[in-house]
Amino acid sequence: MFAGNAEMSVLERQRARLNWQQESLIQHQPFAFFSENEHFVGDFLMGNGDQGFSELLLGRAMKPNPGFEDGWQGLNYGNGSEFCPLPRTSISPPAMAATNAGKAALSSATGKESFKKRKADRNHIPKAAAEERSQDKKMKGCAEEDTKLTEQNSNSKSTITTANDNNNNKGTSDQKLKPSEAPKQDYIHVRARRGQATDSHSLAERVRREKISERMKYLQDLVPGCNKVTGKAGMLDEIINYVQSLQRQVEFLSMKLAAMNPRLDFETDNYLAKEMFQVCASSIPAIGPSSESVNPTHLQFNGLGQGVLSRGLEMGANPPDVALRRTISAPVSILDTLLDSSCLNQIQPLTWDTELQNLYGMDYQQGRSTSFVSQPFTGIRL
Amino acid sequence: MQNTSLKQEFLKNWIKGLQLHSSFNKNTTIFERRKAIKLSADIAIASTRNSTTRWSRALIADASRDGSNKTLIEKISGREVPHKASLGLIRCSKRILKRSRFARRRAAPVAGLIAKKLVKSRTRALKRLVPGGEGMDEISLIKETIDYIVSLRVQVDVMGRMATAADRLIPFKTI
Repeated sequence: MFAGNAEMSVLERQRARLNWQQESLIQHQPFAFFSENEHFVGDFLMGNGDQGFSELLLGRAMKPNPGFEDGWQGLNYGNGSEFCPLPRTSISPPAMAATNAGKAALSSATGKESFKKRKADRNHIPKAAAEERSQDKKMKGCAEEDTKLTEQNSNSKSTITTANDNNNNKGTSDQKLKPSEAPKQDYIHVRARRGQATDSHSLAERVRREKISERMKYLQDLVPGCNKVTGKAGMLDEIINYVQSLQRQVEFLSMKLAAMNPRLDFETDNYLAKEMFQVCASSIPAIGPSSESVNPTHLQFNGLGQGVLSRGLEMGANPPDVALRRTISAPVSILDTLLDSSCLNQIQPLTWDTELQNLYGMDYQQGRSTSFVSQPFTGIRL
Repeated sequence: MQNTSLKQEFLKNWIKGLQLHSSFNKNTTIFERRKAIKLSADIAIASTRNSTTRWSRALIADASRDGSNKTLIEKISGREVPHKASLGLIRCSKRILKRSRFARRRAAPVAGLIAKKLVKSRTRALKRLVPGGEGMDEISLIKETIDYIVSLRVQVDVMGRMATAADRLIPFKTI
């Protein structure tokens, strides 16, 4: 609104000024000038001539220098939007004449003057000034964009941005980095939307935030019940709760195992065997949680891992000894039991390592086996 | 599946740790046993990661810092790299980071936004939960948390199976 008004007034003013000049040329009345405005006439007589002046004016009219325009606007505003030509012409020359004539000096002076005016009037005409500033910065912004974007699309893109910027002249300089299909892959492609900052720090910050959000998404998938929560704090809450619950579960389980440890120590081999079966069975999806059926796995297990079960049977066969030993020293170490039992049984001279290997080998063999599992799954299935 | 191999590895390491522990000290109370089980489980799960992640390194470092006899367990169950130098380095860097963090906090004013504050407090809590999390920035913290959660699930799963197996077997055995 202000800007349009100002442009109108500028054109009007210049037209009127030319008219007035022509009139003066036709009339050839310097004295009237003298009487009216001695500065201007002095300027006139000092050799500027009407030609120079009109040139100046024309130049002014041709070049839409924002500084000039602003200066004019400032003047216009200072005058309070009057539209009669004469007072304006009488006003503008003193500004020129104050710097003692000379065309170059004149133009520079008016430039300076207008600059001052612009600074002074920025408070008064924020919108027009903002527009011109944005026009200025648009050029800079485009230049920066060219440097930042790849070479191909930059020109068209920048023109597009300028075209877009005409609609909205706020924060245009901040808008860069259009989604260009960058052929170079060594860029980290960051997309900046309107109003986002583009200096290196904020770019790095944005990259960081994107990484974090990506990982948070993954974490959201991982943690149950985290999908419903929105917001980072809530998600972090859920994650913390989940990690805590898992840690507590581990504590609880270790407590539980410790409670049955005396026996557990005694039978770790059996557990191990069963565990291995469970673990490998859990990889097969079509498994019932409580399938108590005895199957080839068991048989194979019997056949291969004779050591474990036979020792178990042997132990079952002479319970008094075992019970005695249990009562005497509850947590018997596994190695001891192994040695003892093997000594007692005289069947299996297996050491732990070989047995372990045996079991592992068996375990890998029985990937095809369906189910040995008789226990319900209590743990969280992965 | 990747998890089954992880489980197997964890179980192997854990059983090894348990064996070692039970071969070292015979007369233990239930709490000592619990501690030993927990410790060996931790070390086992940490050693499945081959000390590629920071939480596993921190776990092993903590375990080795606690006692002298535990370093033995840890060395044998997780055979890879419990080097003194690396542990010291980790500890040192952590301490330095802590100090710098405190200094920064003292210097900078508290963030104005409540949401930011909330996120910050949560992040701090999470850092306390994840082993070795105090010296991490946010990105690596989240990465390590993901890894840690996966490992914890494996741990819970295997230990739960072990417990249920024990529950099942013992009556069967005693009959």
